[in-house]
Amino acid sequence: MKIKRPKVKSPGIPISSMSDISFLLLIFIMLLSLINYRKEIKIDYPEARAIEVTQDKNNFEIWIDKDGIIYYKGEQITQDALENVLLDAIAKKPATRVHILADKNTPYKNVNGVMKILQLVQHRVVSLVVKD
Amino acid sequence: MQIKIHKRKNINALDSGSLSDLAFLLIVFFIVIAVFNVNMGFLMDLPKKNSSKLVNISDIIKIELTGDEKYLYENSEISEQDLINIVKNRVKERPNMTMFLSIDPMADYQAVVNVIDIVRANKVENFSFRMRGDTDEN
Repeated sequence: MKIKRPKVKSPGIPISSMSDISFLLLIFIMLLSLINYRKEIKIDYPEARAIEVTQDKNNFEIWIDKDGIIYYKGEQITQDALENVLLDAIAKKPATRVHILADKNTPYKNVNGVMKILQLVQHRVVSLVVKD
Repeated sequence: MQIKIHKRKNINALDSGSLSDLAFLLIVFFIVIAVFNVNMGFLMDLPKKNSSKLVNISDIIKIELTGDEKYLYENSEISEQDLINIVKNRVKERPNMTMFLSIDPMADYQAVVNVIDIVRANKVENFSFRMRGDTDEN
């Protein structure tokens, strides 16, 4: 007589939903990394040929739109406030490089105003950012 | 009587079929983010406030940038190509030449960038610029 053994189900982890979870995790990480991403102001970048890559760590980005309004981290800022913020940033990280991102149609006097602040706080390392 | 022993199937605890796709997506995302963070432009070191430097007068060329983006050299208007030629020739003649740019406050920033571009392309070591009516020089 043939003895029938009951079939034992092999133990296993259900992994059908694993890819869905991983994909959700991926989206979560992407969104999280975008939170700290720089806030851009809509400007027309000036164009040049003899350009080089500027520093990409410890950047302090100052944006100037075509009307001469100064922005820092996406928000409008006065020259006095900029001076204070800049002093704090330099005190925390002395190797900070200031990037000036100005609209190509802005009058030079607006850029000169920012440069005067840099000279005032004795921070002379600056990059003039152009279209790449 | 022969007892059949069933071979146990290898259990793959983690089906990694889609894992490589996800890893690839993640890599592409971070590459794109890293590329966006890099700015291109001119690296400059501004001089100290009220600092001065001795230069030979014959090494200096003075260029004026007007409010309507015109270049003046020795009080006469020149084109951008003329400016490039002047700078090229002067660098050949006098490698230590100093270029001094006087900028009208209302001149477009692009015009200033154009001059800096010419200066950088021709490897002018000493470049100084100042806004007209301003006391400090950069």
